[in-house]
Amino acid sequence: MEQTLEVGPITRARAEYVKRFSLSQRMEHLAIMITFTGLAITGLPQKYAGATVPQWLIIHMGGIELTRLIHRILSFIFTAGALYHAGIIFVSIARHQFRPNIFFSFRDYRDAVAVLRYDLGISDKHPEFDRFDFRQKFEYWGIVFGGIIMLVSGYFLMFPIFFTRILPGQAIPVAKVFHSYEGLMAFLVIIIWHLYGAHLEPDKFPGDTTIFTGKISRERMQKEHSLEYERIVREERERAEKAQEEKEKIDEKVD
Amino acid sequence: MLEKYAPAIESPRYKGNAVWIGIGLLVIAILILLFKTAGVGAQAPPPAEPCLQCHVIPGLEKKLTNGEKLKLTISAESFARSVHGSRLICSDCHAGYITAPHPNRNIDNRRSYSIAQYEVCKKCHFANYTKTLDSVHYAMLNKGNQNAPVCTDCHTSHDVTHPDKPRRAISQACSACHTAISKTYVTSVHGKALVEEDNKDVPVCTDCHGVHNIHDPRIESYRLDVPDLCARCHTDETLMDKYDISTRVVQTYLSDFHGVTVSLRQKQSPDTRTTEAVCTDCHGVHDIARVESTNSPVMKANLVKTCQKCHPDAGPNFPSAWLSHYEPSPQKAPLVYFARLFYLAFIPFMIVGLSIHVMLNLWRAITHR
Repeated sequence: MEQTLEVGPITRARAEYVKRFSLSQRMEHLAIMITFTGLAITGLPQKYAGATVPQWLIIHMGGIELTRLIHRILSFIFTAGALYHAGIIFVSIARHQFRPNIFFSFRDYRDAVAVLRYDLGISDKHPEFDRFDFRQKFEYWGIVFGGIIMLVSGYFLMFPIFFTRILPGQAIPVAKVFHSYEGLMAFLVIIIWHLYGAHLEPDKFPGDTTIFTGKISRERMQKEHSLEYERIVREERERAEKAQEEKEKIDEKVD
Repeated sequence: MLEKYAPAIESPRYKGNAVWIGIGLLVIAILILLFKTAGVGAQAPPPAEPCLQCHVIPGLEKKLTNGEKLKLTISAESFARSVHGSRLICSDCHAGYITAPHPNRNIDNRRSYSIAQYEVCKKCHFANYTKTLDSVHYAMLNKGNQNAPVCTDCHTSHDVTHPDKPRRAISQACSACHTAISKTYVTSVHGKALVEEDNKDVPVCTDCHGVHNIHDPRIESYRLDVPDLCARCHTDETLMDKYDISTRVVQTYLSDFHGVTVSLRQKQSPDTRTTEAVCTDCHGVHDIARVESTNSPVMKANLVKTCQKCHPDAGPNFPSAWLSHYEPSPQKAPLVYFARLFYLAFIPFMIVGLSIHVMLNLWRAITHR
C-alpha cells in the first residue's frame, strides 16, 4: 500500500513562508526596541547636558527630573526583559526544547574571512550560514555584554549610597564612565550597524520584517540560512521516514 | 562713505578749507576738555557757608515730637573732606532752611527724618536710587520696617567718602545691622584677608549680594545662581593663580550630578526649590574656610558629615564618589581615568570597524549589479 510521506511544515511545497521566530521572541525584540530607543533619548542628553540641543531635549521632555524618571522606569522594563530572556533560554534548554545556535565557533571566523573576500570581489563564493550568521551572533553578544554593563553600572548610579556601603566610593564615577560610554557606543552601533543590516542593506531595503512577523520567505531562508534550512528539511524527512517505518511495523503485526 | 560727499570735496578750494576747519575744531575741543577736567578732583576751599556759622557750635540739638533729640552739629572739616564737600552746599540737600530763623518743622522721630531725606539723594544719584527700589531693604521699608537702611545708613550723611576706600568699610557698614553674619565673615578665609591685608581680590558683602539692588538671598533663584556667582572669581586664571587655586572647580562641578541638575533647573524653572547642592551647601556661606584647614567642611575627614546633611544614610565610602573637583588622572581616580581612556580608544575602533564592514557590503552590492 502506498503511503504518502508525512512531510512537515518546512517541506510542504505550498509553504512560502517559514516560521523563524516565536511570538515570545518577537515580543522580546519589540520590548527591547522600544526601551532601547527610550533609554537612548533620555540617557544621551544627560551625558551631554552642557550642550544646547541636549538641554533643549531635556527641557522639552519635561525637565531633568522627569527625564531621569522615565529613564529609570524604562531601565526596569529592560531589566525585566533581560531576566525573562535569560529565564526562558535556561528553561528551554533544560526541557530539551531548544538547541542554541548563538555561540561562536571556528566556522564563524572562517565565514567572516570568506565574506570579506566576497565583498572585496576576490571570490564569488558566499559562505553558507546556519540559523544565525556571524554578524547576528556578534550583535547578540554585543547586546548581552553591553546590557550587563549598562544594568550593573546603571544600578550603581541609581543606588550610590547602597553600593558604597560595600564598595569604594570611586566605583560610582567608574560606573558613570562605563554607563555613559557604553550607552553611547551601543547607540552608535545600533544606528550604524543594526539600521544598515535591518533596513539599508540592498537585499533588505526598506526593512526586514521577519522579526516582527516571525516569518521568513523560503527563498530567503535558502539563501541566507541554507544550513539551517537543509538541516530542518533533513530532520523532518528523517522523522517522517521513522514514522513511516513504525506504521509499517504495526501494519506487519496486524497482518 | 566718502563717495557720497565726493562731488563737494573734489573741488580743491573746499578741500583746503575743510582741513583748516577740522584743525580748528580739534583745538577748541581739546581746550574745552582741558578746562573741564581742571575742575574735577581739585580741592576747592569750602565756601563760607552761612549755615556753618551756627551749625558747628557743639551741643546744638532739636527736640522732636517723641522726645528724641536730633543732633544739629556737624564737622565742617569732615564735610569739606568728603566727596560732596567741594560740590554741594547745605541747601542742596536741606531745602527750605534758607531764611533765618528757620521755619518750624514737626519731625516725629530721628528715624522718620532720615527716611524722609532718602528722597534727596535721588536728585543726583537717580540711577542708584532707582536700583534701591528693587532691593529687599526697600521692600522692608515699604512694609513698614523703619529700621530698613536708606542711603545715609550705609554712606553716612555728611562724611560721604568713596565706598571702597578702604574696602573693609563696606563690610563694616553692613555689620551695623548684620552683626552676627559679619562676625562669622571676618573669621572666613575671605573676611580674614579683607580685614588683615585689605585684600583687593576677596569678595566683600556687596560682591555677592549686590550693591543697591540687593535681592533677598533666601529666594530659590539666588541659590541656583550661586555657582555662577562663585565662578566669577574662581574661574579667573589671573586671580586664582595668585593663590594657587584651581580654575577647574566650576567645570568639574557642572559635569557631575549636582551641577547638571542645578544648571538645568536654572534654565527651566529658576523659582522652584532645588535640593541639589550648590557651592555654599558644602563650602559654607559666610564661614568659608580654606579647604586644607581642619574645620573645613570639605576636608576629607569632615566630608561625610557634610554629605550626610542631605544624604543621612551615607557611609564612609560615599564622599569619595565625588572626585573633589579633580579631573580624573592616573594619580587621582586612576580607575575612572583608565576606564575613560579605554572607551576613547574602543569606541572609534568599533565604529570604524563596523563602518568598514558596512561599506564593504555596499561595495559588493554596487559593483556586482
